[in-house]
Amino acid sequence: MKISLNWLNDYIDLSGISNDDISKAITFLGFEVESVHNTGAPKFNNVVTGRILTRDRHPNADKLSVCTVDVGPAGGVKTIVCGAPNCDAGNLVPVALPGAILPGNFEIKQSKIRGQSSDGMMCSSKELAIEGGDHAGLMILAAPADANPPALGVAINDVLPPGDTVFDIEITPNRPDCLSHIGIARELSAWFKNPLKYPETKYAPAAGAPARPDLLEAIRVDSAEMCPLYTATVITGIKTGPSPEWMQRRLIAAGMRPISNIVDISNYVMLEYGQPTHAFDAKKIAGRQIIIRPAAEGEKITTLDEKERALNSRMLVIADAEKPLVIAGIMGGENSGIDDTTADIVLEAAIFSRTLIRWTSRQIGLSSDSSYRFERGVDPHTLDEAARRAISLILELCGGQVAGTTHKAGGDIPWQREIQISPAYVNERAGFEIPAADQRAALEALELRITREDKSASDGPVWTVSIPTWRDDLDRPIDLVEEVLRVYGTEKIPPSPVLAPALIGNDDPIVLFNRAVSAQLAGQGFNECVNYTLRSKAEVDAWAPPAAAAGLALSNPFTEDQSHLRATLVPGLLETLKLNQSRGVAATRLFEAGRVFIERNGQNFECVSAAFIIAENADANRAWLKRSPADFYTAKCLVETLASIGGIDLSRQPVEMPSGATFGWQEGQFAVIGDIARGWIARLGLVDLALLRGLGIEGKVYAGALSILSERVKNTSDRRRYQPVAMTPAALRDIALVVDEKLPAADVQKTLAKLARAALPNTFALETVDIFDVYQGKGLPEAKKSLAFSLAYRAPDRTLTDDEVNTAFTKLQEAIAKNQPDWQIRK
Amino acid sequence: MQQELHALLDKARAEFSATKIRADFEATKARYVGPNGSLTAFMKQMGGLPKEQKPVVGKLINETKTALAALLAAALRTIEAGELAAQLGPAIDPTLPSPDAPAGTSHPLTLVREEMCRILAKAGFSVVEGPEAETEFYCFDALNTPADHPARNEQDTFYFPADARFGNISKKVPGEKYLLRTHTSSVQIRTMLKGQPPIRIVSPGRVYRRDTTDATHSANFHQLECLYVDKNVTVRDLKALLDYIFASLLGKDTKTRFRPHYFGYTEPSFEVDLSAKHLPKVNKEWIEIGGCGMVDPTVFDAVGYDSKVWTGYAFGMGLERLAMLLYGIDDIRYFYQNDLRFLRQFA
Repeated sequence: MKISLNWLNDYIDLSGISNDDISKAITFLGFEVESVHNTGAPKFNNVVTGRILTRDRHPNADKLSVCTVDVGPAGGVKTIVCGAPNCDAGNLVPVALPGAILPGNFEIKQSKIRGQSSDGMMCSSKELAIEGGDHAGLMILAAPADANPPALGVAINDVLPPGDTVFDIEITPNRPDCLSHIGIARELSAWFKNPLKYPETKYAPAAGAPARPDLLEAIRVDSAEMCPLYTATVITGIKTGPSPEWMQRRLIAAGMRPISNIVDISNYVMLEYGQPTHAFDAKKIAGRQIIIRPAAEGEKITTLDEKERALNSRMLVIADAEKPLVIAGIMGGENSGIDDTTADIVLEAAIFSRTLIRWTSRQIGLSSDSSYRFERGVDPHTLDEAARRAISLILELCGGQVAGTTHKAGGDIPWQREIQISPAYVNERAGFEIPAADQRAALEALELRITREDKSASDGPVWTVSIPTWRDDLDRPIDLVEEVLRVYGTEKIPPSPVLAPALIGNDDPIVLFNRAVSAQLAGQGFNECVNYTLRSKAEVDAWAPPAAAAGLALSNPFTEDQSHLRATLVPGLLETLKLNQSRGVAATRLFEAGRVFIERNGQNFECVSAAFIIAENADANRAWLKRSPADFYTAKCLVETLASIGGIDLSRQPVEMPSGATFGWQEGQFAVIGDIARGWIARLGLVDLALLRGLGIEGKVYAGALSILSERVKNTSDRRRYQPVAMTPAALRDIALVVDEKLPAADVQKTLAKLARAALPNTFALETVDIFDVYQGKGLPEAKKSLAFSLAYRAPDRTLTDDEVNTAFTKLQEAIAKNQPDWQIRK
Repeated sequence: MQQELHALLDKARAEFSATKIRADFEATKARYVGPNGSLTAFMKQMGGLPKEQKPVVGKLINETKTALAALLAAALRTIEAGELAAQLGPAIDPTLPSPDAPAGTSHPLTLVREEMCRILAKAGFSVVEGPEAETEFYCFDALNTPADHPARNEQDTFYFPADARFGNISKKVPGEKYLLRTHTSSVQIRTMLKGQPPIRIVSPGRVYRRDTTDATHSANFHQLECLYVDKNVTVRDLKALLDYIFASLLGKDTKTRFRPHYFGYTEPSFEVDLSAKHLPKVNKEWIEIGGCGMVDPTVFDAVGYDSKVWTGYAFGMGLERLAMLLYGIDDIRYFYQNDLRFLRQFA
């Protein structure tokens, strides 16, 4: 809200206090000062008053005039070419002489205009950057007939009215009372300890002119809950016209456009008290009635901004017998406003439900100064005073008289609020001592009157504080602590050490997981990236089954390319790769740790995820740059590491190679381990080559991603148990099996281990079955491969003899021949 | 015999200097000192010699044996040196750059988050996490944000359709809608509902606002919030925490100030300004860094804590904003572009 310093001075004497100090006061009272600026003219050199002596047509230009201008002691009579329509002889105007610098760094020089020399420039208010002036022509400082015109040749700043200082303040939503000059003045009065003067209101309801039922017979509120208080005052015989200059200047300073005296007064009182009012042209009210009623479904009204609005029955209108006149609390209709012919008016001052106004305003997409205040809360108990203030100003500035008494509906809104608080409580919450006298002073300065003091309590007095009607935000003792602190000054909070009793508790397992993943991957040369969570539907469709996009869609995306939750981190990393490649930055190893959302059977599951990509290095063919390239198994090792950080042992998990729809991965070159239904899932391998080409990424990219249900991330800090290390030697036996080439090695390994264990006596154990070679080609039948395994036998307490191991190994070979006829033992 | 022994040595010298690999060496060696070796043959003759010749011949043989041993040792040294040399790769140029990827990097947002968490850990805060997809209760209702509050409106907050289901994110109120959390304060609510005070937590995380992306706004960004609940927690304690955090982060003479403000979930509430002289690219005396306040009793009521017994404070700030101030970064979008030339500057 824009607050004028001149205006504030009506209610509180701020003379002698610098703008900086006022800004600081507003800031520490709890309102952010967004800007401070002066509305007056900037300081000019060589711009002086001058009187136009003669005006002649420019010989070479129809629209220009050649004037002689007397600037008195500033240089005598000058010849100046002027294009303004009002450069008539006799007018006293601002004259910029050569050397003057006008706003926009425009320097005035002696010049020739269409062959006619010109000694300077006569100025409009716009050219002097004076706000709110008439910009159509020269600024007229005095017309020929004016008495006591300013002297000639006087510096213009000495003649122009001094500017006003405007503070643009952000009012927090809890303080609607401060959406007014009086509200801010009240706060400043508390801060500077200067008394507050309320405006003088001359009008008091009295038996005056007779009522005018021919204009307004009755008002009726159909929806008291939505409109708890409505008043309407008939004022007859007014004369419309512009409002006085002082009022216009203040409205302009506060960011409003002056319109006409009645409208301006209504706005002025709103900016003064925070109470919106509305004036109807009485003759436009059909049926002599004002009815406050819910709008009919589909009812239409054209508001003052010339837009037709369709209403519904949850909205409230102020209507006459025939039609809606106003969308209650938001904006008037163009059918009932004040115009040049208006002689009799009905002045509305009312209270509307905050929720109603907020909802309606949002629904029809229309916010006004009035709705802004109503949706935050207008004090019903100030309404009377504000209305009387408006009436006084109307009578004073527009003439006319009040007809009869004010029509009123509702209004018995009870208010009696007291809060009990003790100075000791304030100190306890603050954590330091604020003297009781200072506390009392702070409260009373805000008109929070201490109406009672009970001394009986053991920890000092207890105050009963009466809360004024405009402070609906104060309800509890803690609210008053803030009031005391604000006025006492938050800068006085004394420094102190942090007192932190130790609490048992470790960081969340997710935090530990992310930290370890980050350290692990950064340690392996990966660069951590952060990508957006919200992705396009096209991307989700490319990386997840069709049902996912439906489940992961936002109902109100802001942009089309950010409409869905991400199901995987990999595409974000590819995007990063692409960006770096296109900027000529070599990027090979990237990772991200963050949340993803996996859809399954119509439900979304939020997961903790870590993913990496490894791109081909374009420089890898230079001699000393040769490195073994990344492949599927590089990705596998990394995924296994990530899984172990998350407390998952991948070595025992079945590995799948899905075919058909591969969702971003290259068929036959990627694997899926786990299932989100079991708490986690990993995908790894080569990214689909066609997809990479489509993204414009050069070279192959291997990737891996692990996602764990957020609640299933294990606490890796679980204490481990020591396992004794065997000191006896292992007996090793190798065996090579020729099997079908499609058979996964892990399946063979599993079966072999099972058979080997079955072939053991109970005196020693098979420790490991490691696969150490895979061979396919010469010497083997078509479509077969050879898998070589090394079996380690061990007894914990002695060295095994060859005989006992051989016996077991022979039994194993027999078992293979018997149970796995498709396998052949390679000799 | 003396001549024969000399001849043997000469022959051995020639043969051993020609052996280059260990196998040849062993074979050659066997020809002299093996069971059927030529020197061994001489030694076998010793037994048949007359007694008076034995010392002379014995001496000769011993001398030959010693000389041969030296030959063997020298030959072996040459072979071993050759073996080691064969293990070496090609010559190096130590001025060539390594083609291996340089050490990886943590993202600046991670670095700032972790630094804050370390600072707060020293003050007894442990780190908690919560879901990014939230419900209206945890994000708004429990935080004293009424149903028609502007922050909740569809222009500012991302919502999911009414029938959207999140299998591992519980609803508190039947029929409430899922949304993307607008602040990490929802984690405070979940933490308080899970346990009893005292509580001292910090919740960093990703949050979402329906905003136009520009140099200072982003559809998602990160926050970090602290919550402390205990008996007799005061405004002064809160100020002490803020002073401690920023003195740790920026040096002992860093100052903070509180400006009264309004937040629905704290009372009293403050905005926190930081004395900016330690920050790059800031030419203001004070710069706003976050919001804080004493936990509003209605929040305690919402989670079932007795607001007459428990008090607390909360503090929250934007991590991007902090990182921008600390590093002098002037566009929030750089964090999400991940240009490696950017990422490598902070490691």
